[in-house]
Amino acid sequence: MGSATLLDLLRDLSSNVYPAGPPLGSLAWSLALGEDPPMPTDLDIEEVHRSRQGDSDAYQCLIKRYQGHVSKIMWRFSRDRRVHEELVQDVFVEAYMSIHSYRQKAPFSHWLAKIATRVGYRYWRQQARRRRTKTFSLEEWDQLPDEPVATMDPSRAGELVHRLLAQLRPRDRLVLTLRYLEGCDVTETARRTGWTKSMVKVQTMRARNRLEKLLARIPGEAEE
Amino acid sequence: MNDNSKFDALIARARGEQPPRVDVADRVIGILSGQDARFEPAWDRPLMWVAALSSAVAIPAVVAAVLVYQVWTDPLFELTKAISWVMQ
Repeated sequence: MGSATLLDLLRDLSSNVYPAGPPLGSLAWSLALGEDPPMPTDLDIEEVHRSRQGDSDAYQCLIKRYQGHVSKIMWRFSRDRRVHEELVQDVFVEAYMSIHSYRQKAPFSHWLAKIATRVGYRYWRQQARRRRTKTFSLEEWDQLPDEPVATMDPSRAGELVHRLLAQLRPRDRLVLTLRYLEGCDVTETARRTGWTKSMVKVQTMRARNRLEKLLARIPGEAEE
Repeated sequence: MNDNSKFDALIARARGEQPPRVDVADRVIGILSGQDARFEPAWDRPLMWVAALSSAVAIPAVVAAVLVYQVWTDPLFELTKAISWVMQ
């Protein structure tokens, strides 16, 4: 198979997996298709440089530009508005503390997404230790009408998914959230979590099995 | 519709959800200004320079005042001298 054919095949595959285009940060996808990997903008580089020198105005511009992006990620981790805002804030504080480690080889948003995932996962683990997870009633799941799911209000759907996944362990919850809700591929999930690609694949399979068992009402299986 | 399809449909809907709007810029800068002395808010800088200049002028003035005070005669010196002479 010639290289052009292989590239066509990759394009076809990716358009099937990601009909609306690949998720942000799929560096491997871009490389495989021979496209330039996403790079940070000149404005980001300039403002990161000024932030490192202690220029608060530059960092404030970065926050204002990316707080929507971070807010979207953190909304997967907490749907309590107060907690959500605190998590977004924590992400930017942590990002500043480690801004010297940003090597400018990928867009600033990718680097922030990795920190956001770390902050969110840490929050889930703290919540799991304190056992402050709202329980999800399986009756509620059964009452979900079959047809209207496709036209359901996205906020209601998001709330249900959030509460359902909250029944799983933080690790399972994280991988399912990234793979399905955030639409990350294996490479991007590995990059965000710091796990290996094999670990992401295994963890996804296990988490999906646990979720199926939870939905099939096998008591105790989900918390194995 | 089985559980898996229902879950997938739910996920597909949830992906279109918009998060609430947040504006944390000022709070983050406030936290960082408290934690990192290097990270001063920009509006503080002119005040900082004025304070530094004032200090630079004030310190020699205080030193000069102390030296002059020691050189000059104590205003009460004459009075205390007379009293001590009477008591003797």
